[in-house]
Amino acid sequence: MTQEDVVPGLDRSSLPEDFATAMVVLDGFCAASGEDMYPVATFLDAPYLHVSLEGTDLHQSWGRSGQGLDALQFLLNLIVSRKVSGDVRIMLDAAGYRARREEQLRTLALEIAAEVKSRNEECEIEPLPAHERRLIHAVLAEDPDIITHSEGKEPHRFIVVGPRIAAS
Amino acid sequence: MDKLLEYLVKALVDEPDNVSIVEVTGDQSTTYEVHVAPNDLGKVIGKQGRIANALRTVTKAAAMKHKRKVYVEIVA
Repeated sequence: MTQEDVVPGLDRSSLPEDFATAMVVLDGFCAASGEDMYPVATFLDAPYLHVSLEGTDLHQSWGRSGQGLDALQFLLNLIVSRKVSGDVRIMLDAAGYRARREEQLRTLALEIAAEVKSRNEECEIEPLPAHERRLIHAVLAEDPDIITHSEGKEPHRFIVVGPRIAAS
Repeated sequence: MDKLLEYLVKALVDEPDNVSIVEVTGDQSTTYEVHVAPNDLGKVIGKQGRIANALRTVTKAAAMKHKRKVYVEIVA
């Protein structure tokens, strides 16, 4: 695709065959969408191939909420696994959504931790998908005064943030 | 939107030639009937409807900029 001239990404011809096949699946999806949208392979950390959807107006669709992006990632991985024999996992992004979301979650985690410390009581965070909970656990693991765990069943599993030493 | 759904469904099933998407347009909403071969039903529904739900979520995300409600129904 010629768009790779304008958006930085990996050279497709350098990708191992299975990953190149994954990009072909993404090309087909973008073409079928009827929108100005194309996939850019940003980096390869086998078996993970990081791909970003780029194009016009993505902030209104794929770049807007994680649900659509996560569902699409799930379906594309199913499709790719039917076409290749090796292990290939697409990590899908759109117009920088994941980085923005990560920053949001990081801020949320730190705000809640501060609140928990000042009140010295537990606080629940709204249900989040597994990879987003993982990020929050990781951020708060660095805080010696805070302990986190998850409760509930998917897809309503949520994090509970509490003080590490309970009030006596 | 129907093209996008068709691409995903055809890529998920064993008999892509037997896939058709019927678009039913209402006042406020559009329903996409996904027709697949009976043997492929499991491929588009998935365990606990996980694939069917992902197809719904993806169709919704794609429809967001058109501000239309969309439904996806799976028909054998």
